[in-house]
Amino acid sequence: MSDKRTLGEVLTDRGVSRRTFLKYASYTASIMALPPTAATAIAQGLANARRQSVIWLSFQECTGCTESFTRAKAPSIEDLIFDFISLDYHHTLQSASGVAAEEARHAAMQENAGKYIVIVDGSVPLKDDGVYSTIAGISNLQMLEETVKDAFAVIAVGSCAAFGGIPFADPNPTGAVPISEIITDKPLINISGCPPIPEAMTGTISYLLSFGAIPELDHLGRPKAFFGETIHDRCYRRPFYERGMFASNFDDEGARKGWCLFEVGCKGPVTYNACATLKWNGGVSFPIQSGHGCLGCSEPGFWDLGGFYKPLSTAKGDALKYVGSAAVAGAAFGAASAVIARNKRNKILKEG
Amino acid sequence: MERDRSAPCMTGHTTGMAYSILAEIGQLLTALSERGEAGAINLRSLPMTDADRGQLEEILGRGEVRAELDLAGATEVWETSYNGVWWIRHKGAGDKIATEEIAVTSMPEILMTHPVDIAAASRRIRQDLDSAGVQSQEQKHELGQKNEWEARNV
Repeated sequence: MSDKRTLGEVLTDRGVSRRTFLKYASYTASIMALPPTAATAIAQGLANARRQSVIWLSFQECTGCTESFTRAKAPSIEDLIFDFISLDYHHTLQSASGVAAEEARHAAMQENAGKYIVIVDGSVPLKDDGVYSTIAGISNLQMLEETVKDAFAVIAVGSCAAFGGIPFADPNPTGAVPISEIITDKPLINISGCPPIPEAMTGTISYLLSFGAIPELDHLGRPKAFFGETIHDRCYRRPFYERGMFASNFDDEGARKGWCLFEVGCKGPVTYNACATLKWNGGVSFPIQSGHGCLGCSEPGFWDLGGFYKPLSTAKGDALKYVGSAAVAGAAFGAASAVIARNKRNKILKEG
Repeated sequence: MERDRSAPCMTGHTTGMAYSILAEIGQLLTALSERGEAGAINLRSLPMTDADRGQLEEILGRGEVRAELDLAGATEVWETSYNGVWWIRHKGAGDKIATEEIAVTSMPEILMTHPVDIAAASRRIRQDLDSAGVQSQEQKHELGQKNEWEARNV
């Protein structure tokens, strides 16, 4: 629980040198696209910070976001984040259960009032008084409002928490809404993706710890460091797109030669995420490198916006007609999907 | 007909990125040489293929200094054949590259010992000497002063 010492003092006692802090800081600066020279400030900020209390709430979700967050093969630089935070409540990872688990949540809230971070994965069902998902005898809505009351900030991880995700998809039987529809009076960061890239989650927390501030966000509340550019912007197959060289199915000459996957439904031109640079599984690959188009999982309403294998030019909705420029198409798609998602949310809220 | 299984990734091709980075390194070296300003380039954020990375490494070559650090995974640092241009490669889980940068400086910060670690080392060496029953120079000095005082006041 609460430790008054700084992270620098705690880890120095355990034989962790400032060089290790600096290495972690270099890693954080690189994944957040900060200048490498920012590493010194990050290392100093982390060394002076206290261990961060984190309360993790899981609502209508599949636990894929937790899987992503904890994924690591061996103790390494990527795991240091677990020394920097105190995960005081997490349904899947905590050993406590029942009354003891809820007591731990309340104790963390009391001891760290105004300072703790609430991470939420999953959407919140509002229909029929939220009866479709309850924990410890209370609805997800009640638990969220109660826990967030004294939080420093809220991080909605995964597309379900950020935009409603799969529970929010038609016909949305539970009246699911994203966290942004409920929490309006606290700093809220959306880290979308199904699941989000682990480094996007750990990097954001490290930034909060180092600078004590929210990183710069885009119009959908996502850190620009990870969501500032489209997959297409950073895709190594983009030269083929520019030359008009496309795979037209998954077993033709274009597919075998690694040409652009636009015609087989790649949503990279309209999807803002860092898969093409950070990649997955410790930087091994990402969907396009493995021969499959991007599904657009970090964008609002991705599940309802046309088939995964239909090219953007034929995707659902007039606003999504391909307009010739990937950047313009990206902006149009993002705006259109946000409007669709918002209209849908309003409809649900009206229907109660 | 045998299927080409190596093609889909296309990461074995160079894109010209290595020479773009080399030009930027040139600018940073000028800044270091003329104004003493250090700089760095984050290689991870650039859309480089494996072949680009290999090409850049080959062009820069290896210089006089090479260091291996054991910091929550391995870290390799070497000065390239261009003095003042350092390649820093941090490895993470599974010995994979976690991040990589080119630092243009007289000495990368990661090689320098932080004052906090020096202070911790100083405390530790005193504890080790105490447990071994060996007096440090400071303790000997203190004891000498005490004996001198006692001798004068007998």
